[in-house]
Amino acid sequence: MIEFINVSYIHQTGVVALNEVTVQFGKGELVAIVGANGAGKTTLVKHMNGLLKPTKGTVKVFGYDTTQQTVAALSRRVGIVFQNADHQLFSDTVEHEIEFGLRNFGFSDDVVKQRVDWALRFFGLKEYANTSPMMLSGGEKKRLCLAAVLAWDPDVLVLDEPTVGQDLLHKEKLEQIIRLLLTQEKTVILVSHDIEFLWPMQPRTVVMSKGKIIADRPASKVFTDDYVLASARLINPQLVELSKRLKLSNEEVFDTIFTAKRWFLTKYRWS
Amino acid sequence: MPKIIEAKGFTFYYSGSTKPALSDVDLSIDEGEIVIIAGPSGCGKSTLLRSVNGLIPHMYSGTYQGEVYVNNLKVSEHTISEIAKHVGYVFQNPENQIFMFSVERDIAFGLENLGLPRDEIRERVDWAINLLGIREISLRAPHEISDGQKQRVAIAGVLAMKPRLLILDEPTSLLDPLSALDLINTVNRLHDTLNLTVIIVEHRLDLLVSIADRLVVMEDGRIICNDKPRNVLNDEKLLTIGVGVPSVVRLQHLLKDICSFKTLSLTPSEFVEQINEALG
Amino acid sequence: MYWMANAFIFRRRDSPIHALDPRVKLLISIELFTLSLISSTIIHISVTLAVIFSIAALAKILVRIYRTLLFTAGFSILIFVINFLVGYSIITSFVLAVRFIAIVGSTSLFFLTTSPDELEYVMKWFRLPQDVVFAFVTAVRFVPVLMLDAIQIMDAQKSRGLELERGNFINRIKKLAPILIPLVVTAVIRSGELAEAMEARAYGAVKNPTSLYTLTLKRRDKSVGILSVTIFAAVLIYFLSG
Repeated sequence: MIEFINVSYIHQTGVVALNEVTVQFGKGELVAIVGANGAGKTTLVKHMNGLLKPTKGTVKVFGYDTTQQTVAALSRRVGIVFQNADHQLFSDTVEHEIEFGLRNFGFSDDVVKQRVDWALRFFGLKEYANTSPMMLSGGEKKRLCLAAVLAWDPDVLVLDEPTVGQDLLHKEKLEQIIRLLLTQEKTVILVSHDIEFLWPMQPRTVVMSKGKIIADRPASKVFTDDYVLASARLINPQLVELSKRLKLSNEEVFDTIFTAKRWFLTKYRWS
Repeated sequence: MPKIIEAKGFTFYYSGSTKPALSDVDLSIDEGEIVIIAGPSGCGKSTLLRSVNGLIPHMYSGTYQGEVYVNNLKVSEHTISEIAKHVGYVFQNPENQIFMFSVERDIAFGLENLGLPRDEIRERVDWAINLLGIREISLRAPHEISDGQKQRVAIAGVLAMKPRLLILDEPTSLLDPLSALDLINTVNRLHDTLNLTVIIVEHRLDLLVSIADRLVVMEDGRIICNDKPRNVLNDEKLLTIGVGVPSVVRLQHLLKDICSFKTLSLTPSEFVEQINEALG
Repeated sequence: MYWMANAFIFRRRDSPIHALDPRVKLLISIELFTLSLISSTIIHISVTLAVIFSIAALAKILVRIYRTLLFTAGFSILIFVINFLVGYSIITSFVLAVRFIAIVGSTSLFFLTTSPDELEYVMKWFRLPQDVVFAFVTAVRFVPVLMLDAIQIMDAQKSRGLELERGNFINRIKKLAPILIPLVVTAVIRSGELAEAMEARAYGAVKNPTSLYTLTLKRRDKSVGILSVTIFAAVLIYFLSG
């Protein structure tokens, strides 16, 4: 669905942000993109809706070459929610904020009303419908940005550092939303440093370093590989560290505390 | 033991607000302690920190009852500049606390503001640079260094003023995990070397609980827990209010109905040790 | 807009001019600026321009000065045309037009060879109030940051289907709201955080803050300074005497 074919992106200053990257993202996949700051994660993601066009190589989204499409046309199918909520919110009410994208994409009044209603309820923002977005808390603002993008129902959702500064309750809600989207066969791409958030979801993990993809494997094979983690400026999730200290093999590594509990029960025959 | 911070029945309403941001807060912190303040968004963590360094009530007006003392100084009766000599504050966003065009000059900023003589400024700047291990970047501009380095520069600039208390407000939230770990290890080392008292506000407890002397949990402007991390984390209700309890601790809660552990382990290595001991 | 960046943004360079004390650089710029204003014949203006270009060459910024002046050429032509139409002779109009180029050039010389740090020291030396100097420093430090914010805001809104290039004039202006409002909000939030950080580092504790660095005139600075004043005086007299 999203294809990168030997893509390079070189800034005017000569800095190579993406270096001959080839990768595909398919329907219904959950993908985590990890790597140090400056590794090229955001650059990669901006090619997915045409914000950036490749200097060399081709990017195809649903079969269309991104250089032949407008950012608006591509965004209709690939929704990106950027990290900083203050960079997006501008309307007088929460309701109008959600409407913004829908109106830009030319939906009819009925559909707009329907979708806004759905988004307000689904994201628990109904009570704030007529409030100014500036009055919301940090977590609520991020939720609103997500609501504003999901309102137009893109096929692919890209989240750029969605858990920064969020407390546990918000992260749990976000995880639920992601799992729901996956059951609807949407593709979800997460750019994140938050290892404890990513690990239980066991995403396909793409590791970037200096503009190249240095690993593209299941989470269980990335988050247990110390060398790859170091180049991505990451560390083992706690459950991985625990599994290693218990001398488990990579297949037995605990993905959640429930898996760990079951292991303890069977291993020590407690019941 | 000298108390670095003493808050007695402190309640604070931001101007125009009917709901108190802080409600009847009692807190006392001894010299040399490392204290974590945790809690869900909006619980009053940042408000509490601002009440310690004087931003409240001097920069953020409002009404308050009770008092906060820092090093026996009443915060409400001293200017923020005066309190800055006792309390160093490192903010969350690395970008918005570096003012000058070079690292060295930024570290000197606070000292210049205090009107210290040039030789002393030079001495303290060099001392702070060596302390934080940032000699190679001392002449670089802010846009030439990483966020992790920026946080170190901010800490250097604050420590150069020789406060006895260092406050860090979510210092790692914009950093990658490895840089976050580096920063916390640095803070720990500084605590040991200088006998600094440290207060950190954080969501991610897993990296901090093993070095902290105390964990203070807040909710709705009140302090609901204030004890050693081991004791606080034993309480399962923390999970329901949105505190980022480390996975290994949550696992132990999950295993509680199966078997009981002598003490709560805070890290995977402690946990494995306990298991090996218990089962031979 | 690009020419302004080239005309006034400092870049680090190794040259005898860059190494001079900023007060001397300011002095030289002011001298050249004055000569530009006083030049009334082709000889005058040629001499002034020659000096400006020689100094630019010494400072290794000839290419940048050249680019700057290329862009101001348009404005110069306008000055030429207007003066000619109003009644001045071709020669006088020409001199007036070229004078504009010299004025921009002499100012540009200063800004291209003086870092924001040095500008700050000069302002302090002139005993400008702490708030003014700090406002300048903060502006230089954060304008590039705000520009980055603006780009990120545009990216975010384009990703929500905002198409800035389409529509008639009125529509396009309306479309600026989703860009300008977040920009202003972000700037205000940044200022707030900066203010907190400033206070926490005792800004304003003392009426006259001290300084880690200070400007000291080296022998070379003094000799260049004195030399420039003498030459300036001589040339000035020559220009004024017709």
